[in-house]
Amino acid sequence: MTDLSDLPPVSWARRIAAVRPFLALSAALALWVYAVRHTDVSRLDDFGLVTALHPAFWAGLAVLTTGFWFTVRGGRRGDAWPAAYVLGLLVMERATQAVLYPTPLYAWAWKHDAVVGHLLTAGRLQGADRLGDMAVYDQWPGFFAAQAALVRLLGVEDAAMYMAWWPLASSVLLLLPLLLIYRTFTEDRRLIWTAVWLFCVADWVGQDYFSPQSVAFALHLGVLAVVLRRYARTGGHPARQGQALWTVLITVMVAAIVVSHQLTPAMLVVSLVALAFTRRHRDWTPSATAVVVFLAWCLTAALPFLSAAMPELIRAVGDIGGNVEAGYGTTPTGTGALVTSWAARLLSAAVLLLALAGAVRQRVLRHRAWPLLLLAAAPLPMFAAGSYGSEMIFRVLMFMLPGAAFFAAAALLPRVPTLATAATAATAATAGTAAATAAPPTSPPRGARLAAWAPLAVLLAGTLAFVPSYSGKDRVSYFPPREVALVRQLFDEAPDGSLVVAANRNYPLALEAYWRTDHYWFLDDDRRHVDEILRDPAGVLARDMAAVEPPARAYFLLTQGQMAHSEMNGPLDASELRRVRDAVAASPRFEPVAENDAGVLYVLKPASREGER
Amino acid sequence: MTPQALVVRMLPPFAGWLALAALALPGGSPLRGAAVGLFLAAGPGAALTGLCGPALAARPAEGPVEGRDAGFARGSDRLERLMLAVLLSIAAVLLVGTVLIAVGVFSGYLVLLTLTVLTTVTALCPRLRASPARRTLPAASPPTTRKGSAL
Repeated sequence: MTDLSDLPPVSWARRIAAVRPFLALSAALALWVYAVRHTDVSRLDDFGLVTALHPAFWAGLAVLTTGFWFTVRGGRRGDAWPAAYVLGLLVMERATQAVLYPTPLYAWAWKHDAVVGHLLTAGRLQGADRLGDMAVYDQWPGFFAAQAALVRLLGVEDAAMYMAWWPLASSVLLLLPLLLIYRTFTEDRRLIWTAVWLFCVADWVGQDYFSPQSVAFALHLGVLAVVLRRYARTGGHPARQGQALWTVLITVMVAAIVVSHQLTPAMLVVSLVALAFTRRHRDWTPSATAVVVFLAWCLTAALPFLSAAMPELIRAVGDIGGNVEAGYGTTPTGTGALVTSWAARLLSAAVLLLALAGAVRQRVLRHRAWPLLLLAAAPLPMFAAGSYGSEMIFRVLMFMLPGAAFFAAAALLPRVPTLATAATAATAATAGTAAATAAPPTSPPRGARLAAWAPLAVLLAGTLAFVPSYSGKDRVSYFPPREVALVRQLFDEAPDGSLVVAANRNYPLALEAYWRTDHYWFLDDDRRHVDEILRDPAGVLARDMAAVEPPARAYFLLTQGQMAHSEMNGPLDASELRRVRDAVAASPRFEPVAENDAGVLYVLKPASREGER
Repeated sequence: MTPQALVVRMLPPFAGWLALAALALPGGSPLRGAAVGLFLAAGPGAALTGLCGPALAARPAEGPVEGRDAGFARGSDRLERLMLAVLLSIAAVLLVGTVLIAVGVFSGYLVLLTLTVLTTVTALCPRLRASPARRTLPAASPPTTRKGSAL
């Protein structure tokens, strides 16, 4: 029987220490809420969201990172606080845009919304004879079919109603397999959560938006987590018990990846093959399963696209220089675009260098987590496989990150001892507890004290660098409601078979109703033709648009999204595009349809169409 | 089977039928969204992992060589089941949507109905179990470290 008076008194310092994680997290989130309420995104400059954000946002991010570091460094046993901090980070990183902008970001996301719209309208898959280049999406329809079902089941008009929140949802989804992978190699919660944190801040590539790859990447990590945990050889023997069932489960996930995305199955195959070469995971069942399912899809449903694209795909094999080269019209132009582009490059380089340092420094961990090191290196050969529309370098980086983040975190933490050293240290610690408590405390040397702050400084720098890397091009990615309304007006009135001519495809609803309208983006054309347009904009454009047969119409659309994209990526500057716009406005061949401060819409007069022919 | 186990087992199909009933609510309503979203995000996968769970758990998973904390291994197993429930559900939605649109009978209602029926059938199936003779093997298997390794 005890009385409360028998219990040792709890000091105030302990109580404060216990609530410190809560205080820092709450303060960070409060600063974030204040920041988003006081941020104006109506006039973005070339630095995107970076210069528009209220300073409280940066303070919140710094408080969050510091709070996280002291929470995990303190060696608290639970996972709840680190998990809460990581969720807080994802909210600040991936939900800020959804809260700030009234419309979804990224022309690519709007395109995917259009594909969902096509499936809802057609109700079945169609080929290139009906859809042209866009038929490729009908050959990998998994994500779009699921979204079409979701739109109907939620009873909303289209996916644009919720797709702004997709980056947050898809990033939270990644946490489950990522944590499981890291927990396969260490029990050290500091290492696990620091790696998760670094993964979140280094994954600036922006494939978390409303896209098939966002889901396929989570499934890819899920398959890897199962393979790492369930296909390892124990005691030198392959693990056979219950494996047929595990193979069924990974087959379901692999099939979902294969029907949804082109590149992810290839990345999965190279990762699984790399694992199968290790002694610990020498089981070819997962890689054979992935290859068989992938080939089955490629040789049936995806064959029309692949057979048409095969000559180009074969040409790209081995051309590493060409595959990593930035495409035409993707050169960062202007101070803002250059600075944010370099921030992203430095962030990626820093994480990869840290990973290298971690792998070199942590000999024991390198041995224990050798499969993770292989998974970080496995995507590299894909540079030789193709350019993937000048995106291969970003995709390879993204697939390297789960492994790289683990070793980058290891570089920031104390060396992992061998089991024997750890056991000896534990025994010595137990025996020496009394002596240690009696001895006066000695302060560490100044260099060691400074070094103790270095990991926090690295985490802070990486976390802050994420913002320009991820949101530095928001001037290009954001389309204000007026721009959306202007383009919607176009598609509301455009008869079937109409042609939309624009500078590039960076505008909302760019591929809306693509199954009944045509598009021509003149900056995608070769430079000689672009120069011809610049010499006589109205005349050359009218000639390009003349083949449209009535009742279809030929529209000229120029919006601020197109201008921002062209200006920040090189092909033409704003004054050149304004000259094109003014020439069209002054030409008697065109008549205005609609105009607002986000863009202009003209239609080619039927009479001038006859004249051009 | 205990009443508690029965409730856990029938929860995924119940969520599916509830989502179907929620379609009667007006489009865009938060309740409808929550019912549909919850089932699609975890229902089919939870039923499948429930069906396979005993057989899957027959052999311990690969874990850190430290192996000091039994609670850690249990936590990883729970995390694995949660991950499988979510990812298998998402995979099921992708695959059912693809099949229905490929055969030209696509509708949101049909996707949900198919998944709910599949979830119900899965929940009603007897649990898959590993053979008793082989179940004893893993307990006797040596630790995951290589022979002679200090790691």
